[in-house]
Amino acid sequence: MKRIPALFGAALAALLVAPALAAEVHVLNWKGYGTDEPWAVEAFEKATGHTVVNDYFNSEQEMLTKLRTNPGAYDVVMINAAFTGDALREGLIQPIDTSKIANYADVGADMAQSPLLNQDGQIFGVPWVWGLTALAVRNEAFPTPPASIEAMWDPAHKGKVTLRDDAIEAVQFGAIATGQSINDIKDLDAVREKLAALMPQIRTFWSSENDWNQMAAAGQIDIGTYWSGAAARAKNQFNLPVTFVVPQEGAIAWLDAFSIPKDAKNVEGAQAFINYMIDPGFYVEWDTAAGAPVSANARAVAALPEDAFNRAVMGDPALAERIEFQKPIPDADKEKYLALWQELKVNAP
Amino acid sequence: MAAAAGGHRGRISAALPLLLPAYLWLAAAVFLPLSAMLFFSFLSDLPFGGRAWEVTLENYRTVLGQSLYTTLLASSLRLGAEVTFWCFVIGFPAAFALAKLVRGRSREAIFLLVILPFWSNGLVRVFSWAMVLREGGLIDTGLNAVLPFDVNFDILYTRAAVLIGLVHSYLPYMVLTSYLALEAIEDHVIEAARSLGASRLQILWRLVLPLSLPGIAAGAALIFVPVVGSFMEPRLLGGREGTTIGTVIEDQFVAVFNWPLGAALSFTLLAVVLAVLALAAPALRRAL
Amino acid sequence: MRGRWPTLLGQAWLGLVLLFLYLPIFVLALMSFNASPFYQLPFEPSLDWYRALAGNRQLKAASWNSLFIAALTTVIATLLGAMASLALHRHAFRGKRVLQALLFPPVAVPWLITGTAMLIFFFGVGLGRGLHTVLIGHVALALPYVIVVISVRLQGFAPELEEAARSLGASPWQILRRVTLPFIAPGVVAGALFAFAVSFDQFVVSYFLATPGETTLPVEIYSAIRKGFTPEINAVSTLIIAVSMGLVFLTSRFFRFGGVR
Repeated sequence: MKRIPALFGAALAALLVAPALAAEVHVLNWKGYGTDEPWAVEAFEKATGHTVVNDYFNSEQEMLTKLRTNPGAYDVVMINAAFTGDALREGLIQPIDTSKIANYADVGADMAQSPLLNQDGQIFGVPWVWGLTALAVRNEAFPTPPASIEAMWDPAHKGKVTLRDDAIEAVQFGAIATGQSINDIKDLDAVREKLAALMPQIRTFWSSENDWNQMAAAGQIDIGTYWSGAAARAKNQFNLPVTFVVPQEGAIAWLDAFSIPKDAKNVEGAQAFINYMIDPGFYVEWDTAAGAPVSANARAVAALPEDAFNRAVMGDPALAERIEFQKPIPDADKEKYLALWQELKVNAP
Repeated sequence: MAAAAGGHRGRISAALPLLLPAYLWLAAAVFLPLSAMLFFSFLSDLPFGGRAWEVTLENYRTVLGQSLYTTLLASSLRLGAEVTFWCFVIGFPAAFALAKLVRGRSREAIFLLVILPFWSNGLVRVFSWAMVLREGGLIDTGLNAVLPFDVNFDILYTRAAVLIGLVHSYLPYMVLTSYLALEAIEDHVIEAARSLGASRLQILWRLVLPLSLPGIAAGAALIFVPVVGSFMEPRLLGGREGTTIGTVIEDQFVAVFNWPLGAALSFTLLAVVLAVLALAAPALRRAL
Repeated sequence: MRGRWPTLLGQAWLGLVLLFLYLPIFVLALMSFNASPFYQLPFEPSLDWYRALAGNRQLKAASWNSLFIAALTTVIATLLGAMASLALHRHAFRGKRVLQALLFPPVAVPWLITGTAMLIFFFGVGLGRGLHTVLIGHVALALPYVIVVISVRLQGFAPELEEAARSLGASPWQILRRVTLPFIAPGVVAGALFAFAVSFDQFVVSYFLATPGETTLPVEIYSAIRKGFTPEINAVSTLIIAVSMGLVFLTSRFFRFGGVR
């Protein structure tokens, strides 16, 4: 029954799909997130002879689905460390020989040895960058940046607040606002109540950087949750008058790492690409030209100008005490968070 | 007419050569993949990566048992009905004008112009609507430039914005399907009715509307069915009001790895939509 | 119904509807000439986005892929769809209702679910990903629209016409070319236009089925909004609409498909 389309498909495939080159490195990542910077791709190709082919995902679940259904299609995949364990359990990624990645030695020990990326003495993820989900404000609405997360609940900004449409992020944000650990939420009812009180403040939910930037540019929002790297891009690349704020109550921190999928065809190219991605040369240019989160490579951060946000603010030891890195969340909890979030969105006043 | 059309009752063999290519294609590309999803909707977990699974009705129990899902289903159905209604009110008279009041070459041009906007990208169109409807947007700026006093026009992130966006996206279906039916009504039929003394309203109500019902019904189905499951327009234009059954289904696939529940939600949605269509079947049957 | 005022009123309404349909298109085109990357007023004229587009190999390649796939989809879906609707119209058989009802699941099930299902299934049967599977998916999604739209037109078709032609000695091929096709032409054209629109704007299915580096325009657009979305997208949309409009006026000058009269 499927013969006709199959035959037709095969004929078309022969016409349309060029044979894969041996020296291609297939990378799976978020769009516009470092690995597809044109200058970087070009520099890497010149230096190593490997060409880079980028593919993208729009959610972690989708990334896992792409890995599952495309064995051998990718050589490098960028995974939020909280999800590396999921990929490992399903046997989607392979151990990495870090001796072939020269820059690995400069990665901070606390990140390199994170239990999220290591198992049974084998390394499954090379830390790349880390960043925060905290707040960003429009300078015009906040001449002095707020110190507390409570600014989101301030009636003065009613109808000018935004939150990402993401259950896990919203619930973890609520945990911070109610003084709880994001990785061990004991009082989910308190989170629900706190978020319910936030709903009338909200203009709309954002789902992409573009949403956020458009609303800020049009003056539709004063304050909202945002990612540190995205805020940097908004400022550097688009000249938007916004300031990133890490409130005294704390912030959500995440670590992004590179892994090599199980059936990768070009492991050598993957190692070279990962090495290039954590190189200080690439990082400094990325952060200056576009705006980036903080490199996991200590030498790369040190190479930034002294007053750079990622060095001065994010490197502040006092900040390290306020933030908490995301740990993997059991499926049952994820579904609980999603149910809570959907209830809130539908029933909010 | 119906008898003539159905001359070979009972024998599918005569129709097969013409039917097979389309339905085989549909089967291979849509029905088989969707049956896999239907199967998943009866599982406790997905059968990949060594997960433990069993056959269960639990997902459907969740869908039908939780007020969240039934509320959303009801409000999405209402949204579908409203969009369909407005598309009819706006689109049918336009189709009538095109079929009966426009002559010559400009008909072909207008016919094509109705659908052309939809050769652009849906996402970009929604962004453009946001630009029109928001504070400081096109309408707001325009009004303030013309009016002597200050007005504040901002309906972005309201239900009205969602309706406008959806009606815009689906209006061409109603215009063109109604046109196809209206244009097939021969002028001399209308002339005959007029010469028999029928008033304009009678002609419209007793003659034109019944004869164009197949077109209206087909247009309504092509609007109602996708609108009930829509998620892009509600999400981008509706703001806080933008949660629909479509966005909730999306979350089950994107935010958590609960395909069985997401699939159960989709098939419940499908069943409800088909039930609504079946209720409207008398009209629809004539449409197909 | 052909008084002077009702006629004018009807034409005015049609004009208003066209205005409504083109309002966002006008904005879309306007913003492609505006300097602000965030669609901000006041308007500052600029050709930057067109310049950026000229240098954007990926976006251009994706646009060509999209046009190519949409054109192929249109041809295949219109042909198969027209055949199926003729069969559904001419013959009555058991199970016909079922076949007609089966046209709605592809429209009703959200595309994200259909896209995921296709990905899993095509992977399972070894078809894999690529523009060939994208095409298979697009044709399937466009078929229901084509069949429903052409069926509407066939409803108004009097089979006596075909009978009369047959009794006058016309061959089945002649009947098809001289009698049936001219009558259903508006339906076929409308079906083809919808098929093109469905394919050209189809994101989810292309997204799951296209291979990296060989994507379609909607996929490029959708992945671009996560990070730097720019009015380059408007520029490419404006160009496509402008070219299609040119084609529309040419076509409407030389072909008649709006009806028999």
